[in-house]
Amino acid sequence: MAMRIALGAAAAVAYAVLLLAPLAVIVYSVSPGAALEIPPSGVSLRWYAGLADQPRLISGLFTSLLLGGIATGAALVTGIPAALALTRGSLRGREAFLAVLLSPLSLPGLVLGLGVLTSAAVLANATGIRTAGTLLPLVAAHLLITIPWVVRSVAASLESTDPALEDQARSLGAGPFATLFLVTLPSARAGIVAGAVSAFVISFGNFALSLLLASGRTVTLPVAIYETVDRYQDPTVAAVSTLTIAAAVGAAVLTDRISGPLRTRDASSRSGRQADPAAPEPAR
Amino acid sequence: MDRSRRRVAGLLLLPALLVVAVVAAVPIGLLFRVALYPPGPVAPLSGGPELDSFAGLLSAPYPSVALRTLRLSLLTTVLVTLLGFPVALFLSRSRGLSRRIQTLLIVSPLLMSVVVRAYGWMLILGRQGFVGETLAALSLPRVGLLHTETAVLLALTESFLPFMILALAASLDRIDPDLLAAARGLGASSARTFFAVVAPLALPGFVAGASFVLVGSLSAYAVPALLGGSAARTFVMEIYELVTISFDWPTAAAASVVLLLFASALLGGAALLSRRRSARTFGT
Repeated sequence: MAMRIALGAAAAVAYAVLLLAPLAVIVYSVSPGAALEIPPSGVSLRWYAGLADQPRLISGLFTSLLLGGIATGAALVTGIPAALALTRGSLRGREAFLAVLLSPLSLPGLVLGLGVLTSAAVLANATGIRTAGTLLPLVAAHLLITIPWVVRSVAASLESTDPALEDQARSLGAGPFATLFLVTLPSARAGIVAGAVSAFVISFGNFALSLLLASGRTVTLPVAIYETVDRYQDPTVAAVSTLTIAAAVGAAVLTDRISGPLRTRDASSRSGRQADPAAPEPAR
Repeated sequence: MDRSRRRVAGLLLLPALLVVAVVAAVPIGLLFRVALYPPGPVAPLSGGPELDSFAGLLSAPYPSVALRTLRLSLLTTVLVTLLGFPVALFLSRSRGLSRRIQTLLIVSPLLMSVVVRAYGWMLILGRQGFVGETLAALSLPRVGLLHTETAVLLALTESFLPFMILALAASLDRIDPDLLAAARGLGASSARTFFAVVAPLALPGFVAGASFVLVGSLSAYAVPALLGGSAARTFVMEIYELVTISFDWPTAAAASVVLLLFASALLGGAALLSRRRSARTFGT
């Protein structure tokens, strides 16, 4: 019992540490003045209204929403077939393929961004196709790091459904496509939705990979926030950051409701694989 | 049947594998090539191949920056383990609502942009921040921790703590409770049970978590750039400035290659370690 209390106290300290930084942002976003006051002299929402006068942050917000939407859509289109192949394809070297698909998560984001930037320059030199200043390099880079999320989530979902159901559908006369769209994919619905939510959130929050690829109109919200906090003391940044914090918590609650207690127990222990700690990717 | 099935599976995997090839393998291959050009600002990327840009990394400031980066990563890994282990134990013993809330607390920060969380730490640690203002309100001397290595270490620890908790909990969850009961039934003290049963079985999670945290903190950009600044320059910050300020792409590429090789060696070593370990535990 004493052991359990000690563990609980340690856990409480750790959870408090995790809450500290987001809380600081939220508190500063409702401060009445630009300077931080202890104790606070009141609460004000003026910085939220002030967001309208911050074209860089607003443009960043829209760029990130657009980029996240495109990357998530493309990640679903490429990731769901890959998850099907890995779980139903009786492939040799299944583990190796999975490792290859998940490998981008352990690459240093800034280095990968530099590589993509170099590739875009080489492409422009060789063919005259200029992608600099467009969303294309960002979309490609974000697709790379969102596919693992879709693959992992959908594969876990497919592994927990019974393939016998599909055999029955086939023996009852359903063609392969009917079986896929009427039986297999609906049974993996939870994994698909959870994968899509994670993919969007990961793209939306990514920083290190986007930093070298974003310029002008393609500056994403995290990059815009980075450039602003490094230079000015401005609670408007805290206001827009608070909105992203709310979105992140919303996404976490949503994933929890869809897939039950999040992956720690579910996905990892059943498949017998070592749960990859790369699970959610940090936007390094 | 099996063969055509395998062919379809291969076809389904193709788009995702193609993304990894085009957006990860080709860019990284190009970085290896660019690193072999003669180094220098606004270099024309011709001549060579030679190893001068790698040789340049042996002179100041790179060795001391690399050492600092390594030190910060090791310390982060140690702190994250010390803080994460009791939390993972507590989490793996929790059930129901408590477990769901804890999982939410652990996962939510991972869905927030690392820039937003680093910003939170800036607000807490700055001279005009929460800590500084609180000290001033208590008529104590202001202390600003911002732009110190301590600030970087604190924020890195916070940003990687969730990964370590999830990795350790994945291992701890798989421990059969009967095993613990058996150890106790055979007269082992709770300390003995911990060191003889729990800790060895948590080792795979620790190895996976530690290697991820090590590589992740070596590659971090936002946290050291915002919280350390020029007072705690890291290897990835040097790469960024080589690209954006000195336009020395060959040296930036060479530094990237060094980081990639080092990270791969760490991850590969960890994978080997956990395979050998599980072979010894479960093999004959």
